[in-house]
Amino acid sequence: MEMTKRWMSASIAALGFVVLAVPAGAQSKADIDGGKLLFQGMCTECHGAGGAGGDAPSLNRPRLLHAPTDAALVNIIQNGIPNTAMPRVRRFSEAETRQLVAYIRSLGKLSDAKIPGDAKKGAEIYRSLGCAGCHIIGGQGGNLGPDLSDIGFMRGPSYLRQAIVDPGAALPKGVLQVPSRGYAEYLPLRIVTKQGGEVRGIRVNEDSFTIQVRDQAGKFYSLRKTDLELLEKQTGKSLMPGFSTRLMPAELTDLVAYLASLQGEQ
Amino acid sequence: MKTLIPAILLASLTIPARGFAQVPYDRIVKAESEPSNWLTYAGSYKSQRYTQLDQINKQNVTQLKPAWVYQLRAGGVFETSPVVVDGVMYMTEPPSTVTALDVRTGRPLWSWTPKIPDDVIVIGSPPVNRGVAVLDNMVYAGSIAGHLAALDAKSGALRWDVAVDDNKIGYYLTLAPLAIDGKIIVGVSGAENGIRGFVDAYDAKTGKRVWRRHTIPAPGEPGNETWGGKDSWKTGGGSTWLTGSYDPELKLLYWQVGNPGPDWNGDFRPGDNLYTCSVLAINPDDGSMKWHFQFTPHDTHDWDANETVVLFDATVNGRPRKLLAQANRNGFYYVLDRATGEFVAGTPFVKQTWAEGLDAKGRPVTKPGLDPNPEGILVYPSIQGAANWHAPSYSPKTNLFYQTAVEMGTIYYKGEAVYKPGIGFTAGGGRTINGDDAWSAVRALEATTGKVKWEFKLLSAGRSSLLSTAGGLVFGGTEEGNFFALDADTGKPLWDTQLGANIRGIPVSFAVDGKQYVAIAAGFALFVYGLP
Repeated sequence: MEMTKRWMSASIAALGFVVLAVPAGAQSKADIDGGKLLFQGMCTECHGAGGAGGDAPSLNRPRLLHAPTDAALVNIIQNGIPNTAMPRVRRFSEAETRQLVAYIRSLGKLSDAKIPGDAKKGAEIYRSLGCAGCHIIGGQGGNLGPDLSDIGFMRGPSYLRQAIVDPGAALPKGVLQVPSRGYAEYLPLRIVTKQGGEVRGIRVNEDSFTIQVRDQAGKFYSLRKTDLELLEKQTGKSLMPGFSTRLMPAELTDLVAYLASLQGEQ
Repeated sequence: MKTLIPAILLASLTIPARGFAQVPYDRIVKAESEPSNWLTYAGSYKSQRYTQLDQINKQNVTQLKPAWVYQLRAGGVFETSPVVVDGVMYMTEPPSTVTALDVRTGRPLWSWTPKIPDDVIVIGSPPVNRGVAVLDNMVYAGSIAGHLAALDAKSGALRWDVAVDDNKIGYYLTLAPLAIDGKIIVGVSGAENGIRGFVDAYDAKTGKRVWRRHTIPAPGEPGNETWGGKDSWKTGGGSTWLTGSYDPELKLLYWQVGNPGPDWNGDFRPGDNLYTCSVLAINPDDGSMKWHFQFTPHDTHDWDANETVVLFDATVNGRPRKLLAQANRNGFYYVLDRATGEFVAGTPFVKQTWAEGLDAKGRPVTKPGLDPNPEGILVYPSIQGAANWHAPSYSPKTNLFYQTAVEMGTIYYKGEAVYKPGIGFTAGGGRTINGDDAWSAVRALEATTGKVKWEFKLLSAGRSSLLSTAGGLVFGGTEEGNFFALDADTGKPLWDTQLGANIRGIPVSFAVDGKQYVAIAAGFALFVYGLP
């Protein structure tokens, strides 16, 4: 039988499984159900319910950037992804790993849920609100907030909606200080030095003895904690204003659709 | 004999450092009397990780400067605690390489790497090594392949190598062996593979095994009745993965035992699951057990009791006592009588939500309903514990027990598992509450009570190993790369520097040419600091 490309890649994926001693085969309902339980236990917090995306990318798509094959997916579960918040999870048994892969692959069989709204209109709203004053898309814009060039790939629509309505509740979990340890990025700070100076800005980095801050004008401060009178971490707040009252529901939906369309170079 | 003593002194004066001197057992017993060397994993058999050196002190610590840096040739998690003998430093590189360095310059003298199979099984920890033991003219090191090797201290040549147990069913070694009189004592990792743990003693000269003390009793042995379920003892875990302590006068070896298997589903193993999550007092002659104390009966949160046990003497209620203390992964600090195993004191040293407290015998009074379940349940301390492998320190000068206490919770999940040799056998897991919601602190506990005298907060829920000194300092390192010194009396930060990567190394101190140094591994390098 002549093998189509599709069949060939399925065989290669199966071969990967043999090497890893995780048996290939149909994704049985029992495996998928077992995997769903594990996913709820370990993955939902970042990847969202049903893998719809949250802090971490959505997984309900046929092709995963880091996991084109099942073997690659097993490898990611066991070894994490360096320099991202994806930790390694070594404590799943072979059977559990197989179940988890079965469940994640079952999510990809759904086509991405159609995101409502008009991305073109959303792009207009993005321009009219002046979002580019603080955000970069495709190399253009200001640098106070996160680069949004691939935000639609990185985040699911529910997260994007929350980040517009209540940005302080949706600060991204960082990887800068301690990989996979989940520190909030863009955390607003109010600092008063022992000499009476005041600094307001976002946390760029921090350790037990020092803190690095960037203010709204982009000015950078390096401070030693022993020199500070006050170090207030404004958890739950953001320098970005919330847009819940400034946008009509349809406009919000359009803006989310636009952001979701930003897929970077993937 | 009188004429011999000056001869030895003369020899040691004329060939300093380059002598590769012998380290007979008696030298290790009296390790505290020669603080220029660091002769065993935790500095002495008491595991106090304290140095009598006081040249670096509260007044001059701000002048510390790097003396030299040794870079690993490959990456890895670098958790070594170096041993220093007469001008030579013996340290381990991940996963299982032993390297001897010139302590004046950091230049390598020799290096030895064991054969590690490509399919080596390391489940339950990163592939690390925490150091060597030195005895007479040999250096001893374990490997993740499950072997124990004896190397010639001068050349690094292999003298003998034994398989402690079969890595294919999950046994491996990460700990520094402990050298006592004629014997090398080791424990094993692997409880996440359903192993049956043990402590082994090997003849230091030949590598022949002298005794094995299983940590999980077989049918017919006392304690086996604490293992309900069919054959649960066979896969009961009870790893012994961190170096124990020793009292040469009482002639008792103290060795700590880890979690039962499977970790998070106790249905497999009804009962107390002796001797998991315990400390054992072992007769070093034959491996027989004099007493045991179980910290966490029927553990379901992976709260190994492998944390270093520190030996010290103190007066309690007007009575001089020989004591043993441990800051346990379960969140409680314990003080025991090390001659009898009697519970003396115990108190939480972090936030814990699983126990009402300890009863008069030190057994936890647990709160119901906090076992892991399929939906997940939040419990403090975390899955990595309030304490872990990171080393505590005890200063006989301040009578304080210094411990990095981890303030973090975990949502614990119970799962299912089927035992298969060499495959993870954990039945569950957990998700830690991390980031800005977790942190740790260096805490100074009154050694006999556990009462907190001071604390110094660290940003991350890191695991700083600590070293206390006669100079009134406590050294440690943070997850964010700060190598620091605190005032041992007050906790006030006196000095810090950024080493550029997380600090997993275990600090030690030594002196050469009349100058004191402090060494610590950070990232992929070993740093040695001294005064200008």
